[in-house]
Amino acid sequence: MKPLPFILLLLYLTFFFSVLSVPCYATFAQNLRWSIDGSARLNHNQALDNTSRIYALGLDTHKVFTNSNGDIGYGVGQVYWTKLSNHMPVPFLFSSKDDSDFIIREAHLNYTAGPNWLPNVRVGHFTLPFGLEESIDTNGRLLDYYLGKNLGTKLDWGVSLNKVINQIEYNFSYTLGGKDKAKSVDGSYAVTGRIGSLSHHDFVVGVSFFDGQIDDISRKRLALDWQYYWGTWGLLGELALGENNKRSQGWQKEKYSLIELNKTSINNQLKLYSQFIIKNKEFQASTDKLINIGFSYQFTTQLELSMSGVKQINSPASGQKKQLASVQLRYRY
Amino acid sequence: MKMHAIVLILILLMLILLSGNVNAIAYCSLRDPVAQIAELYPQKTNQLSIVKTVDDNIRSQVQIALPSNDLHFSELGRHTLYIAMFGKEILGYVHVRSEQSDWGLVEIVWAIDKDLRITNFVFQRCRSPKKKIAQQSDFKHMFIGKNYQDLKQQLSADGVTAKKSVLTNAQGAHELANVVLRCALKTLLLTEVLWGEELEKL
Repeated sequence: MKPLPFILLLLYLTFFFSVLSVPCYATFAQNLRWSIDGSARLNHNQALDNTSRIYALGLDTHKVFTNSNGDIGYGVGQVYWTKLSNHMPVPFLFSSKDDSDFIIREAHLNYTAGPNWLPNVRVGHFTLPFGLEESIDTNGRLLDYYLGKNLGTKLDWGVSLNKVINQIEYNFSYTLGGKDKAKSVDGSYAVTGRIGSLSHHDFVVGVSFFDGQIDDISRKRLALDWQYYWGTWGLLGELALGENNKRSQGWQKEKYSLIELNKTSINNQLKLYSQFIIKNKEFQASTDKLINIGFSYQFTTQLELSMSGVKQINSPASGQKKQLASVQLRYRY
Repeated sequence: MKMHAIVLILILLMLILLSGNVNAIAYCSLRDPVAQIAELYPQKTNQLSIVKTVDDNIRSQVQIALPSNDLHFSELGRHTLYIAMFGKEILGYVHVRSEQSDWGLVEIVWAIDKDLRITNFVFQRCRSPKKKIAQQSDFKHMFIGKNYQDLKQQLSADGVTAKKSVLTNAQGAHELANVVLRCALKTLLLTEVLWGEELEKL
């Protein structure tokens, strides 16, 4: 576990216990949700002709802090032991294809007790508020909206101001750009924000922006996302335009768009989705076009199976077409 | 493993799963109905959450009290009752429940007074084409002001649909009225069984 996140995790726990130590409505166990979350994922990368596995076992907690006056806020803590087996390319959190480590996913506190006109304040390690991911959490799932690839990271340490007011939701964050490290690395930073209509409606639209420097790459993004639900069908989309400047070599325009059609069974047990993704980079010979088809099925209270297959339909100038099949079994107790 | 073999397994699994029975559970949604609480209690200054566990024992109690009914799998697990407050004064309770319908899950945010009577409701999610009818006051007044016993008397002998005399106010949205009625009954029953003791202390 990295030292600074560990310190912040301790601070989080300290806050837990400090709330316990004063007379308050709730005890530690009250208003606490927790589960042991285990998953095994099998991937086959056709382009690399490589089969890999990812195992994760962790604790997922959610705690509402209250006193006699009402709710103060809530905390989310997700710590996972994660083991790779022959996984390539090696994710940035690991040092080899068979490495293992403790990973902090979400770990944040959101202070919600301010007056109605003041925003909530979130501190910690959280998902950057951008695009579809802001209202559809994909952590630990095969379903993905490619936030990490688009912005350079999916989660980051920092602070955010967020609120739901009347017909609008907003979330603006300043984070350190260190990804899993709770510090700025070589001047890294990220300013991210999204403002949109209420995410529980049948039609949702949002506008996001990003300005940051992560891993020595400066990125600027402006995005539009939307969701439309009709019965058990959903039509989702995201369009992000912007530019990258890798190690000050000059700005290069980037375009990313995703369209998803999904279908949920009326009992919510089975979810099917198909995505069409287009990624375009200035000075790149061809535009990447990918299709992703997948589903998730909830067998029992705890057990979920999900599968997905990604296939690139254009021929890249160099290298093979991307073809990735994944299966994941997830058990939450 | 070859790509086409994986795709074949994927298709076979999907066909098997589509014909399967419903007995599973999803993760508890942690989405707070912030906007809906504000709509139900505009004068609210703060809220107090009380989280309780809906387990198999509670599920059995619902099945006994409301024969032919069951809790949807997403209704098991840890759930929150919100107490809407104006300073230290309790305005009422807010309870979100899901009910399965022909258009997927319908999520209803219920406003309940201290005597456990329905005072209002709004939809967090409803994909019925007749949702607008259900948002009108005539439809809502089939449920507003009623407690568990009042609503139970509106059930017909099959235990899952409303009596014909009740549905005259549903303006053609009969199936949605049945869904809302079942959801209201389960909400009031669970509020009393799970949170009743806690609420008395407040």
